[in-house]
Amino acid sequence: MKRITTLYAALAVLALVPWFLGNRYVFHIATMITIMTPMAFSMGLMLKLGQLSIAQPAFMGIGAYAAALLSMQLGLPTPAALLCGGLIGGLMALATGPVFLRIKGVYFVLLTYAFGEVIFLIFQEWTSLTGGMSGLYGIPKLSLFGFRLAQTYHYYVLGLVFTVLCFLVLRGIEKSNIGAIIEALNEDEMLSRSIGSNAIAWRVAAYTLSGFIAGISGGIYAFYIGFLSPDPFGFRGSVDLIVINTIGGTGSILGPLLGAIVVVPLPELLREARQYQLLIYGVCLMASIIFIKQGLVSLGRRRGGKA
Amino acid sequence: MTRVLDVQGLTKRFGGLTAVSDISFSVEKGEIFGIIGPNGAGKTTLFNVIAGHYKPTAGRVAFAGIDITAHSSDEIGRRGIARTFQAVHLFKQETVRENLRRAEVIARLNHPFALFSKSKPNGEVELEDVARFVGLGALLDVVAGGLAYGHQKILGIGMAMMVSPKLILMDEPAAGLNPSEKREASTLVRRLRDERGISILIVEHDMPLVMNICDRILVVNQGKRICLGTPDVIKADEKVIDAYLGENYEFA
Repeated sequence: MKRITTLYAALAVLALVPWFLGNRYVFHIATMITIMTPMAFSMGLMLKLGQLSIAQPAFMGIGAYAAALLSMQLGLPTPAALLCGGLIGGLMALATGPVFLRIKGVYFVLLTYAFGEVIFLIFQEWTSLTGGMSGLYGIPKLSLFGFRLAQTYHYYVLGLVFTVLCFLVLRGIEKSNIGAIIEALNEDEMLSRSIGSNAIAWRVAAYTLSGFIAGISGGIYAFYIGFLSPDPFGFRGSVDLIVINTIGGTGSILGPLLGAIVVVPLPELLREARQYQLLIYGVCLMASIIFIKQGLVSLGRRRGGKA
Repeated sequence: MTRVLDVQGLTKRFGGLTAVSDISFSVEKGEIFGIIGPNGAGKTTLFNVIAGHYKPTAGRVAFAGIDITAHSSDEIGRRGIARTFQAVHLFKQETVRENLRRAEVIARLNHPFALFSKSKPNGEVELEDVARFVGLGALLDVVAGGLAYGHQKILGIGMAMMVSPKLILMDEPAAGLNPSEKREASTLVRRLRDERGISILIVEHDMPLVMNICDRILVVNQGKRICLGTPDVIKADEKVIDAYLGENYEFA
C-alpha cells in the first residue's frame, strides 16, 4: 500500500477514536481539533502566498459573532446564520484584501495584527451588541433539517464534515492550475506578472476564501460552545495557528491537518502539569523546529519518497 | 507600416537625476529594434518604464495605438507584450515542459474570474511546437535549473512565446552567453520575427549582435537620444563614435 494511502487510513481510524473511548471530554477535544484544523488551513493558504496573516482569528470571531447574533437578534435559522457568518468573514477579507495584500513581508504581518486588534476591541467594547468581556450568552443550538444538534458528538461530526470538505477543496486547488498559479506567484512574482498574472486579484481571491473558511469555523464554534467572549479571537489564537502550521509543515495541505491533531490536544494533555504547561509547550515547539524543520509531513516524505 | 510600439517624449527622473530624458521612437510591425548605450546610459530605466515597472515622469507609450503609459507590468503582459529578463527568471525546480505549461496557464487564467470563462487550454501540441521552435524539444523533461545557462535564457524566450505576444521586449538577451550561444540566440530572434511575425525590442550591450540583427537602432547616452537609424547609419555617425564607441572601436 502506498504510504499516503496508509496515512489516510490511519487518519480515518483516528477520526473514529472518540467513539471507541466514548468519553465526552475526548469528544470535546476532537471537536476542537475539527474547528481548529480549518482555521490552520486558512492560515496555511495565506502562507502559500508567502503572507503571514495574523488576522485569521479575527475572521473566525467575525463569523462566530455574526452567526450568533444573526440567529439571536434577527431570528435567522441557525444554518443560514452559520453560512452568513462565513460569508461575512469572506466579505471582510474581500474588502480589506485589495489594500492589505499590496503590502508584503513584516509590514503585512503588522497590518493584519493591527486589524485583528481593532476587531478584538470591537468585540470587547461594543458591549450592547457583543456583551463585551462578560460575554454573549444564550446562543441557540444549531438545527439542521429539523434535527437539533445538542450533543458534543453532533458538533464533532459537523466539524469533521467541514474539515474534510475544506481538505478536499484545498487539496483540489493545490493540485489544479490554480495551485500552480499561486505557487508561481509566490516563487517569482515578477515573472508571473510579466506573463499577465493579475497578482493582486489572485491574492485577494485566496484571502477571501481563507476569510470564509475562518468565518464558518467561528460559526461552528459559537453554536457548539453556546457562549462567546473575545478571548479566543485574539493574538494568542494566531500564535497557535502559526505553531500548528510550523509543527505540521507548510509545504502541503496535510501539514496543518497533522499539526492541528498534535497541537490542539497538547494543552489538555499537559493539564496535570499546569504550572509547566507553557514551558513544555514551548520546549515541544523548539524541538520540532530544530529537529523536523519541514514539519511532520516531511517525516513521511523522507522515508517513503514523495508523500 | 503600422506602429506596434510608439514612445513619445519619455522622461524618467529619480529625484534630481534624470535617467531618461525626452526619448521618442517607434517600433514598426515586424521590426527588430535595438536600444544600445554605455553603462548607466538609461537603457534599463527606459526598458523598465516601457515594461511597466516604473511610471514615467513625462511622456507616453502606446501599443498598437492604445495608450499604455503607466500601466502595471501585468496589464502590459495581458495586452500582448511579453518580455524576457537579463538575469534568468524561471521556475527552476520544474521541468522545461512544466515551465512552458505554467506560462500558458498563467496567461490564460490571468484573473480568478477567467476560471468561469470558456477559454480552452492550448494543450500539449503548442507547447511542444514552441519547445521545438526554440530548440529545446529534446530537453522537455529536464529540470529548468539544471539546463545550461544559454538554454535557460532560451527557455525564457519560449515562455514569452507561450502567451502569443505581438511584441517581445528583451532585456540583454546575450548577457552571459558564450559566442556560440550568442549566435544561436541571434538566429532565434530573427526566426521569431520571420516565422512568427513577432516584433522585437532589444536592449543590449553586445554591439556586434545588435548591429547584426537589428533593423534600426536607438543609441542613448546619459539618458538622451544620440542617434537613431539603421546599423549603417549608426556606424557612420560621428556623435556615436565620439560619445560611445571610442575612436578605435572596431565594428564586427
